[in-house]
Amino acid sequence: MIVLWFLIKEGFRGLWRSNYAGAFSIIIIALSLILIGFGYVAARDTLVMVENIRSQFDITIFIQPKVASAELENFTKELGNIREIERIIYISTDSAAAQFKLEFGEDIFDILDYNPLPPSFTISLKPPARNLISVEEVAARIKKFSIVDEVKYRKTFLQLLEKYQRLIFVAVVSAFIVLTLISIVLASNSIKMTIFSRRNVISTMKLVGATNNFIRAPFMIEGTLEGLIGALIAAIVIGLTFYFFNNYLQSFTGYRAIVSYRFYGGLIGLGSVIGLLGSMRAIRRFLE
Amino acid sequence: MITFFNVSCTFGKEAGVKNINLTINEGEFVFLTGSSGAGKSTLLRLIYMDLFPEKGKVVIRNFDSSKVRSSEIPFLRRKVGMIFQDFRLLEDRNVYENVALSLYVSHYKTREIRQRVYNVLNQVGLGHRVYYNSKELSGGEQQRVAIARALVKEPVVLLADEPTGNLDPRVSSDLMSLLTRINQNGTAVIVATHNYSLIPRVPNARLIQVNEGEIVNPT
Repeated sequence: MIVLWFLIKEGFRGLWRSNYAGAFSIIIIALSLILIGFGYVAARDTLVMVENIRSQFDITIFIQPKVASAELENFTKELGNIREIERIIYISTDSAAAQFKLEFGEDIFDILDYNPLPPSFTISLKPPARNLISVEEVAARIKKFSIVDEVKYRKTFLQLLEKYQRLIFVAVVSAFIVLTLISIVLASNSIKMTIFSRRNVISTMKLVGATNNFIRAPFMIEGTLEGLIGALIAAIVIGLTFYFFNNYLQSFTGYRAIVSYRFYGGLIGLGSVIGLLGSMRAIRRFLE
Repeated sequence: MITFFNVSCTFGKEAGVKNINLTINEGEFVFLTGSSGAGKSTLLRLIYMDLFPEKGKVVIRNFDSSKVRSSEIPFLRRKVGMIFQDFRLLEDRNVYENVALSLYVSHYKTREIRQRVYNVLNQVGLGHRVYYNSKELSGGEQQRVAIARALVKEPVVLLADEPTGNLDPRVSSDLMSLLTRINQNGTAVIVATHNYSLIPRVPNARLIQVNEGEIVNPT
């Protein structure tokens, strides 16, 4: 317990005495976390937007003309049995005509004297099934019903959506990993400068019989503190930016950035980990 | 207590020691003398295992250089006190903190650390300088802080590498008196020096002359 207290005190003391090198490490970590933080929110909101577009995606089923109502009822029941389907909307020939008038401003009966619009169903799928594979599978199953004339959905659109969503995801994950690694290396290099300036402390500690763990611990505490302070700065910068954005620019952009306390907690945790790993990497060479 | 078995350790073309066979017993006072580069410091570094022999082995109590693991070396160094010409004090700490460091690394309790540090500082005549920063002290006082730091862990042997190199003759004389007192309390003392005028100050000391890495007067 006494040793632990001594090591913590040494860690704080080291941070206090690290001067410019310590401040440099803190700034490096803060800048990296600001990039990571903004990148995360931008990517997250883009993915949410893509998911919203996906939720509006639906399949239209056109029914053969002059189908008996019993058959329609039976088909509706069958659709209800398909697990992937979330919502079914039936559009009768009359409703289709009304919709035509609404969309094109002309009555179909004025043009053709009869209503050629077939009855149809519009179905939307449950969130897990809103992907190309499931959509194609459901569409194929529906096509097998004899009363179905045609099944339509925006395949190309869905393909593009999936492609870009995957791209965004890969880009975000890669950027996160690369930025985190860069911050660990940069933090480690600046912490190394701090350690280099105190190599006499390390050699004296070795001479009096300190174990490597004993020597390492204060530097690890110091690195973690630098990461923590860097993360707090990043959290304040991100928080203030979003506050300004949401209060003064939202009316122009129509976008509102919402971040939870968990986001800030994660940022602080990540900063601490970056500082800790950076210091572990830096001290290793001095203990060899 | 300390035995060199046919030890050779060289680095570079000239420095190092060759075929050293030597035993130093508990409570002995030993002078290692010789010119600069003769191999005196190498012998001391072999004792506190800052260097390892290329040939032969050094045994210090139950620590054998040929078998010791790097994780065991700190435990050896807790039994060996070391002082140097340049004192090697932590300049950003006061006298108390410099001396207490030796005990913190050995996980002593605060009360015991305080008691031991005050005792040893009184012993080396620095009881009135406890909270001075090491930079505020004279060379002689700084060397006494280094001795206190080495002594506070009650070592079995105190190694001194040119301890008077940075001190004037009067302070050097005081320092030798202090090392003699420490030796009389049972701690073996090994002083590496090229200052031959120190030798007569310790009448019972054993003299080992080192020249070009070899012991000239083997005993």
